[in-house]
Amino acid sequence: MRGFVRQLLTIAGKDLRLELRSRERLVSMMTFAVLVAVVFSFSLDPGVEARTVAGAMLWVTILFAGMLGLGRSFALEREQDAMMGILLAPLDRGALFLGKLIANLALLLATEVAVFVVFALFFQLSYWKTLGSVILVVVLASVGFMILGTLFSAMAAGTRLGETLLPVLILPLLMPVVIYAASSTQRLIVGRPFAEVAGSVRVLVVFDLIFLIVSILLFGAVVEE
Amino acid sequence: MREEARLSPPGVIQPTAAVAAVGVEKWYGVYPALRGVDFEISSGDFVTIFGPNGAGKTTLLRLLAGALRPTRGEIRLGGAPLDYDEPAWRARIGVLSHQTFLYGQLTAAENLRFYGRLYGLAKLDGLIERRLAEVGLWDRRDDRARGFSRGMQQRLALARTLLHDPELVLLDEPYTGLDAHAARMLRRVLEQLKDGNRTVVLVTHNLAEGLELADRVVVQVAGRWVSDEPRSAIDAVEFEQLYTARVGGAE
Repeated sequence: MRGFVRQLLTIAGKDLRLELRSRERLVSMMTFAVLVAVVFSFSLDPGVEARTVAGAMLWVTILFAGMLGLGRSFALEREQDAMMGILLAPLDRGALFLGKLIANLALLLATEVAVFVVFALFFQLSYWKTLGSVILVVVLASVGFMILGTLFSAMAAGTRLGETLLPVLILPLLMPVVIYAASSTQRLIVGRPFAEVAGSVRVLVVFDLIFLIVSILLFGAVVEE
Repeated sequence: MREEARLSPPGVIQPTAAVAAVGVEKWYGVYPALRGVDFEISSGDFVTIFGPNGAGKTTLLRLLAGALRPTRGEIRLGGAPLDYDEPAWRARIGVLSHQTFLYGQLTAAENLRFYGRLYGLAKLDGLIERRLAEVGLWDRRDDRARGFSRGMQQRLALARTLLHDPELVLLDEPYTGLDAHAARMLRRVLEQLKDGNRTVVLVTHNLAEGLELADRVVVQVAGRWVSDEPRSAIDAVEFEQLYTARVGGAE
């Protein structure tokens, strides 16, 4: 077990170290998020109260910023066929998957912090009253997003279509997560109590568990041949 | 060349064989890359496999490394079939390819530390120092691999290959893209692998480099071993003529 944890932390640590050096994914994800906020701020009718549509705006931004990052998730492994070097090591494929997942999730959560701050500034949103519940919903939905994203970006990396294929594969499966996340976030932002979104939170937990089990089982086959 | 010289009957594997293939076939869809290969390689041997493009040499090496699974037959390491669900045996194999498996944004030492951790190696700092010194890169340990010349990258890749002290070393066209000086340096390091304890399989197009170090020379054409002889039985000039005649047609 200690070996498994050491291996997954090694994979995650390597990905994060490389990202800190290049800032390739973070910069593109955050730039995209800010640009979307700018577009929304100009396009929203002054008669519409932003907080009544904030859930949808936030999750559309998070979804596409996340897709942008996922497209590059296995790019560094392709450069000198480093994925082959990793697969030749005595490494549990589950540890490889979880390591990549942790790194992808960390980058998405960092982007989400920026997204929520930017949207708060642009649309005078306040999350303070329900901050804990908002964080819970965002983290659960992000975990589900990144579990599927990590699996499918590994699959897409092994094909010639690569990044083009990723949204086609992942978006239909992600829709339930995005719908529950957006509706829950929306309700929490307008100040509804947690009890109103508790059912959605339970559904997100179930999605995460199902996605996680299926992805760990499939990941070895996806990366090996 | 003596045809089919040392091929063993399928299924008869010497207990001393470091690595063996038993009736191994590999198909990519409807295309056969290997068509029934049987062999055994004794511990400590340095075997060179020559062959034209598309002969299935890299496929064979990837099968021996466990990166691919055979469509039929099995690969045995130290007499035991590879168990693809149990990764421990992978630590007994090292692979050097023309692709380095390195991360350009990591330094030489960081690349080795990353792989060392994946292999669960203890006293990693000492190992890294030793391997980098062996390939002449200790002074460049804190430089990013991206800034290295092709020859230096290949030497760093060799240090990565040997970091966990594998008993079976698989070399896939390691001289690709190296200039004469870099090739000489690489050969010098590869010579050190011939210590009698390590089994080495080298796949190459380069006749001179391939014959230089080999104890045993194999020619593979269209997914089959068509020749397998001890190096001592081969005259280099005659081999080159026969190889060109045989393989020219295949290419």
